[in-house]
Amino acid sequence: MSHIEHLDQIYRTSPRRVAKMMAIMLGICLVGGTIFFGMWDYWISGVSPASIARAGKVEITSPVVATGKEIPVSLNFIESSDFRTFAFNALPGEPDHNPTITAAVGDKIIFNVKNAGKSFHAFGVTQEDEGTGGIIPGSNIQSASNPIKPGQGGQSEFIPGKEGIYYYICTVPGHRAQGMQGQIIVGDVSAKTENTETEPITGSPMPAPELKKAPETIVKEKPEQTMKEEPKTNTPFTGTISISPGASTPGCDKTNECFIPSDVTIKVGETVTWSNNDSAAHTVTSGTPTDGSNGTFDSSLFMAGKTFSHTFDNTGEYTYFCMVHPWMTGKIQVN
Amino acid sequence: MVLELQKPRPVWQIMFSTHHTDIGLLYIISSLTFLFMGGALALAIRVELFSPGTQFIADSMTFNRIFTVHGTNMIFLFILPFASGVGNYFVPIMVRYKDMAYPKLNAIAFWMIPPAAALIWLGFADFGWYGQPPYSMISSPSPAAEMWIFGLKILGVSSVLGAINFIVTILKCKHPDLPLSKVPLLAWSFLSSSLIVLVAIPTFAAALLMLLTDRLGVTGFFNPALGGDPIAYSHLFWFTFHPEVYVLVIPAIGMMYEIIPRFSRKPIFSHSSGMFAFILLSIVSFASWAHHMFATGMSFTEKTVFMVGTLAAVPASAMHVFNFLATMWGGRAKYSTPMMWAIGGIALFFSAGAGGVVNTAMPLDFITHDSYWVVGHFHLFVFGTIAFGSFGFLYYMFPYITGRMYNEKWGKVHFIITLIGAVLVFFTQHILGLYGMPRRVFDYPPFPAWIEMNQIAGVGAMLLGVGMTIFLVNMIYSSAKGKEANMEDPFGLGGKYYYPYQRKNPHHD
Repeated sequence: MSHIEHLDQIYRTSPRRVAKMMAIMLGICLVGGTIFFGMWDYWISGVSPASIARAGKVEITSPVVATGKEIPVSLNFIESSDFRTFAFNALPGEPDHNPTITAAVGDKIIFNVKNAGKSFHAFGVTQEDEGTGGIIPGSNIQSASNPIKPGQGGQSEFIPGKEGIYYYICTVPGHRAQGMQGQIIVGDVSAKTENTETEPITGSPMPAPELKKAPETIVKEKPEQTMKEEPKTNTPFTGTISISPGASTPGCDKTNECFIPSDVTIKVGETVTWSNNDSAAHTVTSGTPTDGSNGTFDSSLFMAGKTFSHTFDNTGEYTYFCMVHPWMTGKIQVN
Repeated sequence: MVLELQKPRPVWQIMFSTHHTDIGLLYIISSLTFLFMGGALALAIRVELFSPGTQFIADSMTFNRIFTVHGTNMIFLFILPFASGVGNYFVPIMVRYKDMAYPKLNAIAFWMIPPAAALIWLGFADFGWYGQPPYSMISSPSPAAEMWIFGLKILGVSSVLGAINFIVTILKCKHPDLPLSKVPLLAWSFLSSSLIVLVAIPTFAAALLMLLTDRLGVTGFFNPALGGDPIAYSHLFWFTFHPEVYVLVIPAIGMMYEIIPRFSRKPIFSHSSGMFAFILLSIVSFASWAHHMFATGMSFTEKTVFMVGTLAAVPASAMHVFNFLATMWGGRAKYSTPMMWAIGGIALFFSAGAGGVVNTAMPLDFITHDSYWVVGHFHLFVFGTIAFGSFGFLYYMFPYITGRMYNEKWGKVHFIITLIGAVLVFFTQHILGLYGMPRRVFDYPPFPAWIEMNQIAGVGAMLLGVGMTIFLVNMIYSSAKGKEANMEDPFGLGGKYYYPYQRKNPHHD
């Protein structure tokens, strides 16, 4: 056929050569495999910075003095026969439906949870009034990605760190909205009306990622958070208003924590300093987001870590906001 | 002998050579290694899903990591490098040039694969081969996700370099006596797929960078909390990866164009229609990306446009199939192993295409969307068509690479077992999807129909495992001790029909 025939010798692969190639390939695979299995978990041990930025706004329960009182609670996950309604213990309208638990700060609530339904469920306690975020570490039993299977169950404990309303929920996305949630009222019921809610996770309705891993990284922010839990009128104002970390994301306005404290009372002639503790640049501009700047004072854009000061020489009520992030508002009362 | 090393050299000389056959050999050996590694992961997935409940993968994280690396590995580390290997062997010979246009660039493109593979395999990320935000951006653990991103980044650069090399080799370095219209269809397939790579890959490269900075918390392109849009990632991703599907399938079709006329002992029915269909495919491949996203709330007009754009690929694909059939028609076909693989590949290509038309029809897409149907469809394409073509071509090249024959009987056994296995796994997965089983789940409720079909698929996967083991043993044993091939006519076809790659450039060596 072809005329470029092989005047030279034909070389063919030899067993030796094949063995050499196999040895090289197996050697690489062995070394790689050792690293692979040796470091299997290491590569998933970190959290992405974007995730820390989100989780940074989650309440960490502060250590509390245990009262020694234990409240055992048994809960069963159940579903209506048409799978439209989910609940704990009993369907809506029946006794013992999503029982409300009352406890005092420091009580140990022991949850004994069983999945008596046909679907997958998972358990957790949160302070948020919707969604599946903000699960308090340690209160959860399994998770949405590794749920409690039908017939299985588990136990967890929850020690409320402060007064307020907590919710025990099914953390599988969607199930809470279908009715799987009950209240835990801690302390005085009137606490409900006070602003004791934690900052909700805002943005997407996705469950907060890997909260269990987050605490070490965000514990630093706790001092500020304990400060803002005090009723507003008692806030000791030091002359510095902090622009809270993460204020560049909408959501801090729900709890008035874009500026901390957001509502202060000072005397004439005192100076207020705003410190930008967020990672983004902000402005402090007198006026309201709807009407714009009224010209009393304006910091213009100042960067993370910088401060801005203004001395108030006249009495009156001054509202101010951030021109870049119009949900950030605050008020200064000068007497 | 044409393709083998001109004379025995130390292994390190082959490894660090810049000669196109040496690099082709490296590509093929490494891609086959990754095939077996990724295949092991596939078996793990099927065993875990064999019945409801935990088999041996206890948590969803491990399962997610396994299917992520399985997908990434098979596409980027098996199919693409295998095609590059074949192209490296044959394109210079087919255009009658002494080597690739840029031999060192060629070597660099190959040597980018091992570090990228190390990043992907060691990191073992968990967000699927789509890396879909917001999960991949916020929740996916570090540093696995970053390793995946960088691994794919490197592979993208490697693909672009390889594509440039093929394009320049074919357009600029072909023999002056050889008009472009007479360049064999295998080389044509590399020309068209390389052009697609050049246009498509940069989009995904940009999306990867955006994903990375989003993960670092610096930007919010895909972060809804910062005003970004995860759907934008889907658009960027599929703008690259729908054309990429054609990058994968076009070389496989080119390989079938090489095998079928040879074993039918008849020239190709229509060389020009093959060329035309390649060009048409590479153009319409860019008109269909959003059909992956019909369920993301697109307007009716958008959906209609992309439905029609996707259907535009049907005539081109059908031209190839018709060309194959017309070539075989009236030929004196010899059903050696490569021919069997090619024919099996065509049959499954046709079935996968029929399923593709169903996906394209957007009302039906809403039934099949995100179900096992999609898994079955996709695998029928990449395994049933592309891998079948590749296996066939590997058997076809085998004597030219090693100077020895593979074991014909076991090659046929491999084909039959694999064909049965592929049909059992991937056809069943289509039906499983219609029964509502979602994809990417590591466990499922014990519905009898789901259990049965998962078990059928599990048995099929085991058959594939057996077939691939036979393949591996056959390849290793035959390249060491196989009977010496008759290099004039290894398949006993009578030698009437020329082997274009044997018409070597007089300047070669």
